[in-house]
Amino acid sequence: MVECDVVKESWPLLLTESLDPATRERTLQHIEQCALCNAEWAAFRATWAMLGDLPIVEVPARVKEKFLATIMPQQVVAAPATNVIPFQRRPAFKWLAQAAAVTVIAGGSWFAGHRSTTVQLAPTQAIVSEPRPIQNVSMPYSIAESRVLPASLVNPDIQGRPDIQNVQFSDNATNGDVNLSFDITSHVTVTGKPNDKSVVRLLAYVVRNEDTMSPSRSRAIDWIRRVYSNPQTTDPEIATALASVLRTDEHQGVRINAVDTLKTLQPNGANETTTQALIEALRSDPNPAVRLKAVEALANLARSGTQLDAMTLDTLRQKAAQDDENTYVRVKAAEALSNVHP
Amino acid sequence: MINKSPILAAVIALIAVAGFADPVTKVDRFSREFTLDVGGSFWIENPTGTIEIIGTDTPGLRVGCVKTVIADDPQSLALGIEQTHVMMEGNQQVRIIRTVVPVVRAGKWRSSVAYTVRVPRSVHVKISSSSAERIRVQNITGNVTVKNFNGLIVFDNVVGSSIVDTVNGSVVYEYGAKPTANAQLSTVNGNIEVRVPGDSNFTWVADTIQGEFLTTMPVRGGFSGSTFRGSVNSTGGPTLTTASLMGRVVLLRKGTRVEEARSVQQTPRVSLPIPSAGNTWETKFQAAKFDGNLVMSVPIGSIEVGRIEGFARVETGAGAVKLDSVLGEANVLSLGGPLSLGDIYRAVTAHTDAGDIIVRGALDGGNISTGGGTIRLLYAGGPTTLRSGGGDIIVRQASGPIDAETTSGDITITADPNAKTEKFEAKSLQGNVAVNVNPHFGADIEATIITSNPDANAIHSDFPGLTMHRDQINGKTRIRATGKINGGGQKIQLYATEGNIHITSQTANPITVVNP
Repeated sequence: MVECDVVKESWPLLLTESLDPATRERTLQHIEQCALCNAEWAAFRATWAMLGDLPIVEVPARVKEKFLATIMPQQVVAAPATNVIPFQRRPAFKWLAQAAAVTVIAGGSWFAGHRSTTVQLAPTQAIVSEPRPIQNVSMPYSIAESRVLPASLVNPDIQGRPDIQNVQFSDNATNGDVNLSFDITSHVTVTGKPNDKSVVRLLAYVVRNEDTMSPSRSRAIDWIRRVYSNPQTTDPEIATALASVLRTDEHQGVRINAVDTLKTLQPNGANETTTQALIEALRSDPNPAVRLKAVEALANLARSGTQLDAMTLDTLRQKAAQDDENTYVRVKAAEALSNVHP
Repeated sequence: MINKSPILAAVIALIAVAGFADPVTKVDRFSREFTLDVGGSFWIENPTGTIEIIGTDTPGLRVGCVKTVIADDPQSLALGIEQTHVMMEGNQQVRIIRTVVPVVRAGKWRSSVAYTVRVPRSVHVKISSSSAERIRVQNITGNVTVKNFNGLIVFDNVVGSSIVDTVNGSVVYEYGAKPTANAQLSTVNGNIEVRVPGDSNFTWVADTIQGEFLTTMPVRGGFSGSTFRGSVNSTGGPTLTTASLMGRVVLLRKGTRVEEARSVQQTPRVSLPIPSAGNTWETKFQAAKFDGNLVMSVPIGSIEVGRIEGFARVETGAGAVKLDSVLGEANVLSLGGPLSLGDIYRAVTAHTDAGDIIVRGALDGGNISTGGGTIRLLYAGGPTTLRSGGGDIIVRQASGPIDAETTSGDITITADPNAKTEKFEAKSLQGNVAVNVNPHFGADIEATIITSNPDANAIHSDFPGLTMHRDQINGKTRIRATGKINGGGQKIQLYATEGNIHITSQTANPITVVNP
């Protein structure tokens, strides 16, 4: 019943087509499933349609005057002009809102950029005490869930056709500014060196974030394998992100990709977290390919002379002796152990 | 002006002396005596250094130690001496000797302690070591347990129950009399050699996945997988368990030699060299070209062949298989390991229990499957079935029907850029499915998504004409898209659980197929 109440609150917006697609889909689904809401919604829609069909009746001047006097007692109410057309809400509100958003951004930016007033200044003598170079101050573009941009930083030229959704307006009573917020999907290209912290962090985020579709993550992981396998570019943060994927990702294809890439980053990218993730994968990943690649990565570590701790050795030992493990995994575990000299 | 030559020469000489200076060594010898009951226990933990334990009829425990510290410089030597402790603890029921060295060491030094211990013959012995050049236990009638990583372990006339567990070490067990107690000997990379009197009777359980079992004793028994179980001379008696994962197990009658031993295996295995530490186990069978039909089966090992003029029937118990091109049919099986196949001009059947599979060209199609791993097929010229127990499946150019299924992973199929229509079936039980076809490709589409998150998963199509349906099944949302694209054609059935389906219109670069 609580869900019904929540859904009902959005019906007016649904009628005016002002809901965002996800909420719209949820609301419609609920209406389809809930018989009570279905009946109520049909009645609501019928009422709305009926209201639209009703002729527009002028409010009697006396009634209007009395109403306005009640809500605005201090103001003198002028008689309505005869040429005023009564306002009717249109279902195209969404498009109007989007158009308004674009207009406000463009107009505001143009206004901010072109505002000029002639000011007469009395001539004064300039004295240069200490010459300083002009510093070019620029704000870094931050990738965040939500961010506020001053209109002056928004280029008035909107390029392409960005998908602007969920437009909302509010005004700031203190300084008279208007706020326009919206969800926008645009294509951003970040350029930089592989070791630039922003590139590394962005990649780590993409790889870790399970909301990112698996093909994108797989592509990111493939790319990491190509770029970061070089000892000069190997970054522990990338390796840690891959270890996190290996530990937690439900998608086996992505896990295979992650462990494969970790294998190529070894031993330069090895750290405690990655080694731990490899051990866990070897111990308990249900996918034999993941276990196989994990044991190969550990074998590479052993071959490179990296000192393996007691837990790693114990895991390798157990794997080598585990009767029901894939033979190749057992052989690789034995191979890794043969390179260990405690 | 000062003549700098003598100073310069002195500096060079100093540097040279420092550079070529021998490591400094300190050897410290000492011995102790303790009381120890005849039925007592003796434990020793020694990370590095030989251990020799000898059972005697003399009461008490006598320990002889040789502590050796080797360092690059005198300061490190002093540190090494200070930080290598020999600790002797316990009481007359249990005596414990420990060598204690810090895990993280300051200075460049290494140390080892060699022990020679004489104990009453009947005591129980427990030995723990990491890297002992040799552990030798002699004339003990009590129980003996040894755990070790590297180094040879020798048992000489040990009568009581014994357990040996080592990783890279080999085990030699010399019985003075007929075995009367159980023995359990296991090593990962070493060999096991047991010598018993000719009239011994016991149950022999032997296990190896790479090595072989050899004996000069009369043995009757059989295999269960890689484990042999048999009776020596007659049934009954104690059980001798010998397990060497990668090594050889030899059971010899006293007075006979290894060369006289015969294998107990029914079918002779391919003999592989026993690698020393540091080598790879992946013994390769390589050939650049094979003129006829290649039929090959190895228990463990990788197979790499260039061009095969006939058909190929290749099997390995564990290992990678790489075939560059096969003019006939290719039948490749690995019980674990990646497969890399080039152009296969007739039908291909490739399976691995674990590992990725890459096939450059399956010109006549075939069956490709892995228990877990990614399958990449660059060109499919005929009907091809692809199965993965978990992993992505990618077909770069399909000129024949494709039937692909993965337990968890993405499936991507790109149709031949010139194909007018083709039959595809793709099913991912957890992942996305993508089909790329040319803009004029005609097909009857039936795409289905089962998802618990209908906001996140959707069917995307670059082609108009699909009708979307949505309903609920077992608490999940089913999204279906059906219809014809470009007037219809062969059926394309796509199924994704908790994923997206993409039907995209792209013109990919065709893959060139080389004639044999």
